[in-house]
Amino acid sequence: MTKKLGIVIDLKRCTGCTTCANACKMQNNVPMGMLWNRVLTEGGEEYDTSAGVYPNLQKSFLPIACQHCENAACVKACPVGATYKDEVGRVLIDYDRCIGCRYCMAACPFNARTFNWKAPVREPGFNYGDKDVPVRKVGVMEKCSMCKERTDKGLEPMCVKCCPARARKFGDLNDPESEVSYLVREKNGQQLLAEKGTKPQVYYLR
Amino acid sequence: MNNMIKYNTWIAILGFLTLMGLGAWVYQLVNGLGVTAMNNVVSWGLYIIMFMFLVGLSAGGLIVSSSATVFDIPAYKVVAKPAIILSTVCITVAGVFIMVDLGGGVFRVYNLLIHPQFKSPLMWDVVVINSYMIINIAYLYYMTREDPPQKIMKTLSRIALPIAILVHSVTAWIFGLQIARAGWHSALMAPLFVASALDSGLALLLMTLLLMKKFTDYKIENKLITSLAGLMVTCCIVDAYFVFSEMITMYYPGEEADMIIFKEMISGSTAPFFWGEVILGFFIPIGILLFGKNREKSNLVFLSSALIFIGVLCKRIWLLLTSFIHPNVEGAPGVTTGHFSQGTYPIHMWAIKGTYFPTMIEFIIVIGMLAMGTLIFSILARNILLSSPQKKMISQETRHEVGVEVNS
Repeated sequence: MTKKLGIVIDLKRCTGCTTCANACKMQNNVPMGMLWNRVLTEGGEEYDTSAGVYPNLQKSFLPIACQHCENAACVKACPVGATYKDEVGRVLIDYDRCIGCRYCMAACPFNARTFNWKAPVREPGFNYGDKDVPVRKVGVMEKCSMCKERTDKGLEPMCVKCCPARARKFGDLNDPESEVSYLVREKNGQQLLAEKGTKPQVYYLR
Repeated sequence: MNNMIKYNTWIAILGFLTLMGLGAWVYQLVNGLGVTAMNNVVSWGLYIIMFMFLVGLSAGGLIVSSSATVFDIPAYKVVAKPAIILSTVCITVAGVFIMVDLGGGVFRVYNLLIHPQFKSPLMWDVVVINSYMIINIAYLYYMTREDPPQKIMKTLSRIALPIAILVHSVTAWIFGLQIARAGWHSALMAPLFVASALDSGLALLLMTLLLMKKFTDYKIENKLITSLAGLMVTCCIVDAYFVFSEMITMYYPGEEADMIIFKEMISGSTAPFFWGEVILGFFIPIGILLFGKNREKSNLVFLSSALIFIGVLCKRIWLLLTSFIHPNVEGAPGVTTGHFSQGTYPIHMWAIKGTYFPTMIEFIIVIGMLAMGTLIFSILARNILLSSPQKKMISQETRHEVGVEVNS
């Protein structure tokens, strides 16, 4: 059976430290002004604030990146096939083919995509990413690739490896024996915006 | 002679604005789309608004001129030529706006030809808009010949009419088929686009005819204006009916995602455009043109056309932007905008709500491209419509000469 790679994020474990966002930025050479992976504070007005009225307060975080949907709206929207679903279930972008029409961006329900509006700026001023990660030019779309360069080699994505709370798990959703399948099945893994029917391959445990 | 000076001044002004627009476009090509106000939250802006608007505007012309042939309405044949010139120019400029909007500039467009992906509504639009443009040009070519070949004209108009409907429907489906944006995802989107294309297209045609009548030697009967105004107000009523149907479907169930959009339109940041359309684009012109007597007065017809024109532009604005404002997955600090300037704090790269106001560059490009369209129209109209009596005289003379030669 073909693989269907996915990520399970245990929100009860997530402390909102944003290590995943920074690990992702370093690994993938993501320029200034954008992130492939971001951590949202649920319900609060600002980052790291609680939701509710004192003393009934609640605080939870939601790390969000590309959901690698099975029925991906962006893949259908791309007029040149630059965004595609690969054979192991990742949604990837062919940076050379992208014409910069940004239709995929309008099509994505998760605001997971980020566009190179200007020539990318990096601080410090050099490419700090993994040497295998291609550098994107101005006018192309980019987003989480589930660390293609690492997962191709059988490694975990950087966000999964670096999470200090071990809230993130990575694996094959088509393999019933895998840890991710077990968590989705036994711990009631939920998809974001499931009602949109895009069938995300990122699950959340609440 | 006086006319000639006026015409040349007009052309010079338009030419200057066009050059300014092209200059701004070059600046944007060099620096990237970062010179616009578009960002990761509101990822389409003024260019796509103008694209939708111009695709719609081109409808009026083609539908009037082709229905003149298809349904054999001789009265409309008189305006067939200006109508088809207008429609050709509008669709061309609409295409230019897509080119302007591409992040890869014009340099990576060839990918559309070598890697077409036909599941994308955008690809369908590329196909139908190009077919539409070719039909327009062919139509224009045959119509301006000495004796238009009736058979070809009939065939062309029969293809043109359904393709015109399709162009607006496919443009609507770019938005209507997307599940991500609650304000777009509606089965009514295509009929709504066709209706507003018809009323705004007819409004532009009427304004152009009345302006040409006033400022040039172009002759047109008042009866025709009255009849076109009647057609326009009918389309406008249908448009208003569709908008009402869409709004009540959003409001009545009170679904969360729809209500966010609804509130934003009724009293939020896109409210000026929504009410602008309802009041300027529907109530006033319908109130004026519903009465047959008012349709006979050129001034009132011109005013109503201008209002409908503005109203539909307002609709393009609220339709596109409202759905971009609120990300589906909410939470602080929001979405990264993709913009960064040296020396700012990282907090400035975040946005909880989408905001957008076009930059000067965007305005200059839009004005430039619209000036280019007007320029092309003025030149074509002068050569095809106004100088035709002279041309006829010249051609008759030459024929006469040829005849003489043959006889001798």
